[in-house]
Amino acid sequence: MSGRWSRVGFYLLLAAVLFVALFPFWWMLDTSLKQPIDIFGGATLYPHHPTWDNYSRLFNTYHFAAYLENSIIIVIFSVTVSLVLGTLAAFSLTRFNLRFGLNNSALVVALVVRMIPGILLVIPLYIMLAQWGLLNTRLGLILIYTGLNTSFVIWMMQSFLAEIPRDIEEAAMVDGDSRLTALWRVVLPLAAPGLAATAIFTVIATYNDFLIALSLTSTTDAQTVPVGVSTLIGKIQIEYGPMAAAGVIGALPILIFALLVQRHFVRGLTLGAVK
Amino acid sequence: MTQVSAPTKRARARRGRIPGGPYLLLLPAAVAMAGVSIYPLFYGVRASITHYLYGREFGRNGLTNYRNVFHDQFFWEAMRTTAEYVICAVTIETLLGLGLALLVSREFRFGGPIRVGLILPMTIAPVVVGVMWRLLYDSGIGVTDTIWGWFGAAPPNVLAHNTSAFIAVVVVDVWEWTPLIFLILLAGLQSLPQEPLEAARVDGAGRVRLFFDHTLPMLTPVLLVAITLRTIDAIGTFDQIYVLTQGGPGTSTRLISIYAYNTAFLDSQYGQAAAMLLSLLAMVTILMVAAVRMLRKSAA
Amino acid sequence: MNDHTAHERTKRSYTRKEVIRGAVGAGATLGLAPLIAACGGGSSSSAGSATAGSTITIGSFSDPAMVPFRDIYLKKFTAETGIKTKWHETNYNAWYQNSKTDGLQKTGAYDIYVMDDNWVPEYAAGGAIQSMDKLGLKVNPNILQKGLEQGYWPPKSGPRLKAFANDTPQLYALVIIDDVEILYYNKDYFSSAPKTWDDIMTVAKDKSNPPSLYGWTARGVSGNPIMQTYLPLLNSYGGNFANDDWSPGFAGPEGVGALERLFEFIPYMPSGVAAFDTSQETAVMLQGHCTAMTEYTGTAHVVDDPTQSKVPGKIDFAATPSQVKSGPAIGTFICGIASAAPNTAGAVKFLEWFTSDKVQHEFASGGSVAVTGPALRDPALAAKYRWLPACADAVDNSIPKPRTPDEPKMEELLGTELNKALVEAIAQKSGYQQIAQTHLTNAANQITAYLKQQGTY
Repeated sequence: MSGRWSRVGFYLLLAAVLFVALFPFWWMLDTSLKQPIDIFGGATLYPHHPTWDNYSRLFNTYHFAAYLENSIIIVIFSVTVSLVLGTLAAFSLTRFNLRFGLNNSALVVALVVRMIPGILLVIPLYIMLAQWGLLNTRLGLILIYTGLNTSFVIWMMQSFLAEIPRDIEEAAMVDGDSRLTALWRVVLPLAAPGLAATAIFTVIATYNDFLIALSLTSTTDAQTVPVGVSTLIGKIQIEYGPMAAAGVIGALPILIFALLVQRHFVRGLTLGAVK
Repeated sequence: MTQVSAPTKRARARRGRIPGGPYLLLLPAAVAMAGVSIYPLFYGVRASITHYLYGREFGRNGLTNYRNVFHDQFFWEAMRTTAEYVICAVTIETLLGLGLALLVSREFRFGGPIRVGLILPMTIAPVVVGVMWRLLYDSGIGVTDTIWGWFGAAPPNVLAHNTSAFIAVVVVDVWEWTPLIFLILLAGLQSLPQEPLEAARVDGAGRVRLFFDHTLPMLTPVLLVAITLRTIDAIGTFDQIYVLTQGGPGTSTRLISIYAYNTAFLDSQYGQAAAMLLSLLAMVTILMVAAVRMLRKSAA
Repeated sequence: MNDHTAHERTKRSYTRKEVIRGAVGAGATLGLAPLIAACGGGSSSSAGSATAGSTITIGSFSDPAMVPFRDIYLKKFTAETGIKTKWHETNYNAWYQNSKTDGLQKTGAYDIYVMDDNWVPEYAAGGAIQSMDKLGLKVNPNILQKGLEQGYWPPKSGPRLKAFANDTPQLYALVIIDDVEILYYNKDYFSSAPKTWDDIMTVAKDKSNPPSLYGWTARGVSGNPIMQTYLPLLNSYGGNFANDDWSPGFAGPEGVGALERLFEFIPYMPSGVAAFDTSQETAVMLQGHCTAMTEYTGTAHVVDDPTQSKVPGKIDFAATPSQVKSGPAIGTFICGIASAAPNTAGAVKFLEWFTSDKVQHEFASGGSVAVTGPALRDPALAAKYRWLPACADAVDNSIPKPRTPDEPKMEELLGTELNKALVEAIAQKSGYQQIAQTHLTNAANQITAYLKQQGTY
């Protein structure tokens, strides 16, 4: 069936696909290390006069440290809280037979909340936060991301927890544990990889969010890294060097995290459609 | 529950049961989710029947906002542009993703490095994707000038002309999301039962017939899920467009998300924007219901 | 893709820590939330303090004209008064959104907004900025009148919104840089300063030689940019952006004639002009490839800079060309005090300081377009920066844009049609009158419908 040529062709095709997928990353990194002469002097594949200038300008002139700080704080709080809330809820959904058909409908609700396009939420959220005085605050963003992430956590953890056989915790309960301590001592450690994967997905989704952060904040007091990246896109002139550097900072943490969970990717992104 | 042997253990076990416990575990999560879905819906509906002028509320005005939206030529233009964008992007992504998955599925050992490489476009913030491609497209600093130079043509300004800008943003979407379709379909292909396919191959079915008569029908549920999810996401595309063109040049890339955003935050017409988005929600709901049904079926 | 986790009984510790941290965090966040919400929002404006040690926060959009302000004058102010300044800058659209949100929702993140002049009616009518008269700001009488009037709401002259028809004009924003449209022309190609559009056209026909030398260039990007190209034409033909009764004044013979004139320049303009904005237009001129253009004075100070201009000393300035009259548009950089500003006293002191004769004179000494008559018309400075007196004259003869909160939207609507018309005219190379009439009428209808919908006219 396949001769040597079709094999070579196959490898070439794969290489081409990988190249197309990865070249823009390289280009952005490349540009972030170039001086203006290099940037405007025609496309070069590597910086002829590399410099850290763009990064230092990013942090000095453009207050990028503030954006990073906001992002980190907001992500830590919202992800942690949503993990707790979501896991408890998922536990309840997988271990108990609830009335009113809640087992099914709760999952549907979680799914729906997860799927709503951001633009549909943003204006009502803006009006809501304005009324509560939470515009341009980290707390406001934390609350919103917590709510959105909880639905995602429920969906993910529900499938991970369902895989853990009940006998294990029933055995623990025979030995005297209550439901909750059984969850704590026995089930969670088993679900740890799933929990970790869910956590990382949630971190990625929260860190990357742009529309909600853009609409609900107005100063460096609360603006996150994606918003910071967008402020570098000027109307009259664009400083491409710092803009590329900002993109690199916006992408780097996520790249690292993504590589950690790449085994769980399809499940997370398709909400377990392919089992 | 199982019988416990000693009285103390029985007592401890009973103490562990909180009355209404399971529902209590659900409650905080339910509150959190309601806070970002039910409440906003309520506020959104209220805003959509409110008259906003220069950012301030001036009382309810019934369905006037909806009527204005319905008669707004730019709203329909944005819907049209969004439809074109979604159809082009999702179709190309599906075809490319399917083709790639079929190709790679026969050589499983490459699944690893390919997967690692391809997840990167999907996981980066769409804003950063926009920045990356801005750096590639902008004339004077990008690679498009060089590439066009090879063909001996004058350097284009890709993002400054209507048609090329539209194609450019579709290309970005395809670059970013084809990997998702690819991974889903690859997983789908790898989970297909091999016996029917083997049987058909033994019967002498050629590759094309094998695909259309056997593989594709079995793959269809997964394919539909992928397409539906991607379509719902694509309708809400905002970040990359904001970075690349802000809806320009003119209105050629002004998707409904950009138009609604501008209406709310640049024109301060919160009421009208809310009406716009609720109308959009009604249309998207059909898609969402279909997606939920399909996912629940496959998860059953 | 199933992961069989049942057999992995490892790594208890980090999971537990995570959950503990989460529980504490959850309790802390949820418990404190109502408290923080109570303290956090809805801050109302307080007098603040104009004494040394207090701080004022200024926000602005990025613009080359604001560079001296940001780099030199903020520090000078702190050195002279001891009041510290915090500066926050972002791109134009983001700043428009952020400042408006901050003002309307009274979140008090800024004391002073640096604004584009056509934002003033919207911010004043919506209550995003506060009256400077009420704050007791003393206006320097030497500020050129037409620049100063940009900051009054309701406007001192011209049509008003119904709701504000009988209000007394109050000063809501103070101009800090007079940005007005002016003609840049290359002395090599003109025997004397051109006065009319015909003068420009003659030279374009005679001397231009695309692509090495163009006879005209323009900003063609849809919306605000192409509006700035069109306004001097429209005004000079006797048309109006909006008539006194708010009806569009550009769809009649004057407006059509003005647009046709722009189309007639097409053979002498760069082919990509429909996608040009300020930087491209200026670049063509400064590289020596163009005989003349209209632009705002914000870029005037780079014409002699050898690192940016290939024709130092060759570019001169005059009033925008006239047809029946000369009608430059005026667009100032103007500062408003936020409605919830934490330090209004400090803000007032800063604005009075910056617009004082002494500081304005220094400002003009750097080539920037100051706002006071004495600074702009100082002979010593004029010798060094030949655009200063030209700017002063242009300000005095300028035609303000319609003073309404809906003006940005009107510019967007007309600007979109203008861009479509230009693209069509470039493609078709003929039928200019038809193209102009169709698109201008479209825009007029759209604007009329929009104003009717707003209901304030």
